Amino acid sequence: MQVYLPIAEMSVDALLLVGIGFGVGWLSGLFGVGGGFLLTPLLILIGIPSPVAVASGANQTLGASVSGLIAQWRRGNVDAKMGAVLLVGGFLGSGAGVQLFGLLRRIGQVDLAVSLFYVVVLGTVGALMVMESVRAILRRGKGGHRNRLHEHFWMHGLPLKMRFRKSRLYISVIPPALVGFGVGMLSAIMGVGGGFMLVPAMIYLLGMPTSVVIGTSLFQVVFVAANVTLLQATQLGTVDLLLTLLLLLGGVAGAQFGAAMGTRLRGEETRALLGLLVLAVAGSLLWGLLRTPENLFSSRPAL
Amino acid sequence: MIARLLLLLLALLPVSAPAQEAPLVASISESDVEITTGFTGASVMIFGATEAPIGPGGDEILVVVRGPTRPLVVRRKVRALGILWVNGPSARFPRVPGYYAIAGTRPAWQLLPEEERQRNGLGLDALPLESTGARSPRFRAALLELETASGRWLENAASVEIEGSRLFHVEFPLPATVPTGDYRVEVLLVRSRQIAARQELQFRVDRVGIADRIATVAQAEPLIYGIACVVLAATAGWLGSIVFRRG
Repeated sequence: MQVYLPIAEMSVDALLLVGIGFGVGWLSGLFGVGGGFLLTPLLILIGIPSPVAVASGANQTLGASVSGLIAQWRRGNVDAKMGAVLLVGGFLGSGAGVQLFGLLRRIGQVDLAVSLFYVVVLGTVGALMVMESVRAILRRGKGGHRNRLHEHFWMHGLPLKMRFRKSRLYISVIPPALVGFGVGMLSAIMGVGGGFMLVPAMIYLLGMPTSVVIGTSLFQVVFVAANVTLLQATQLGTVDLLLTLLLLLGGVAGAQFGAAMGTRLRGEETRALLGLLVLAVAGSLLWGLLRTPENLFSSRPAL
Repeated sequence: MIARLLLLLLALLPVSAPAQEAPLVASISESDVEITTGFTGASVMIFGATEAPIGPGGDEILVVVRGPTRPLVVRRKVRALGILWVNGPSARFPRVPGYYAIAGTRPAWQLLPEEERQRNGLGLDALPLESTGARSPRFRAALLELETASGRWLENAASVEIEGSRLFHVEFPLPATVPTGDYRVEVLLVRSRQIAARQELQFRVDRVGIADRIATVAQAEPLIYGIACVVLAATAGWLGSIVFRRG
C-alpha cells in the first residue's frame, strides 16, 4: 500500500515502513537501545532524503523510548538527578548539533557528514563493545576476580562534586554534562537518541551501576530526542509526522517482543551481539563512502 | 474516457469552428490534480481538434507542459584524500521546471527551424537553464539525466494520437514526486515549419486531505507542528506499550 509522505514529498510503501519499524523496534527492545542508529541509515537506503530521515528518526526514537522509560521508572531504575545533569548538557549539545547540521546542509556535505559520523562513532562504539564483552565472557569462564565498583582516575579530581544516590556516585558534574553535550550533538546530526553511545559512556566513563544505566539513558534520550524534533521542525522543517507514525506503528509492537526475548539472553552475549550489529552498520556505511558511486552527479533543492 | 471526451469535442466542433474559424481548439481532462495520502502518480490528458487535417504535409501538433520552477543545486562527487567520495563542485540553477513534458505528432526538431524551437523552449535541450557556480556543461547534462530518470522530465515519451485526421489527444504521466503548483500547457499548431496557432491551458497540482494539512501546518506554524510531533510520538509510544504489554 503506497502512502504519500507530505514532507519528504514522495510516495513509499506503508507496509515497508511498518516492517522497518517492527524490525528496528524488535532489535531495540532486545538490546535496550532506541534503535535510531539502525533506522536512519535504513531510511536513507530506501530513498528518504537524509535531512528528513535524520529529523524523523529522532522523532521516532522519542516515541520508541517513552514506553521503555515508563517501564524503567516504575521499577525505580532511573537516576533522575544524573539524568537532569546529562540533560542540561544534552540540550546544549543538540542545539549546537542542529546549527551544525544546518551549516552542513548549506555547504552540501550533509550526506558525507552523516555517513562519516556513523562510521567513526559506530565503529568505535561497536569495537569497544565487542572487545569488552568478549573479555567478560572469557573471564566468566575462568571464574576470575571481582573488580572494584569502578576505577579512579584524573576525572575524579574535578571540582563541582555532587552526590548521585541512585548511582552510588560522588563525582563532579562536569563529566556527565560533557557526555550529555557530546551525545546531544551527535543525536542532532545522526538522528539517533544516542542510547548506544550513552550506555557505554555511563558504565565505563562515569562508573554508574548497570541497573540504573538503561533507565537513566532512556530518560536522557526521550528529552534530547524531543528537543531535536522541535529544533529540526522549527529551524529546518524536515520532520515528517506521517513517516514517524508509520515507523512507530511497527516499532512499539516490535519493541515489546524484543524486550520479552531479551530477558532470556545473558548480559555479555547481548552486548557482544549489539556490538557486532553496530559494527556491521558502520561497515556498510563505510563501503558507501569508499565505493565509486554509480552517478557522480546529484541534485538537491537549493536553499 | 478518451472516447467520451472526443465525442464531446465532436459535438462542440461544428459550433465553434465555423463561427471563429479557429484553426485549433484544445482542452484538458482535469483542471485539478489532487495529491492525497494514497497518491502514487496521475496523468492528464490534453485533447483537441484542428480545422485542417493533421498529418505529414498538413497540420502538426506540439504539446508542452511546464510545471512550477524551483531552484536546484547539482553537485559532482570528487575523490578526497584518495579514498573517500565527497560532494565537490556545484552549479546552482535558480529556475528549474519541476515538471516538463513535450510531445508531438513528430519530434519538435523535425517540425520547426532550430532558432524557432530554441526560442520557444521546445525540447529538453532547448530549456532555458541559466546557472551560477561550476561552468562545465556536464552539470546541465547531469541535471537533464537526473530529471529524466525521475520521470519529471519527458521528451516524446508520450505520443500525440490522431483520430479521424482532425482529432488529437495525448496523455502525460505525472509521477508521485511531481511538485505542487500551477502548470502551464501550451498546444501549438505547426503548419509549414511555422507556429500557426497556439492555445494555452492550465491545471493545478495540489495536496489535499491529511497530506495537505500536515505540510501546511509544518510550513505555517513550525513550532506548533514540532510540539504536535513530540506529543503524538510520545502518545503513540505510550499507547503501544499498553496495547502490547505482555502479562
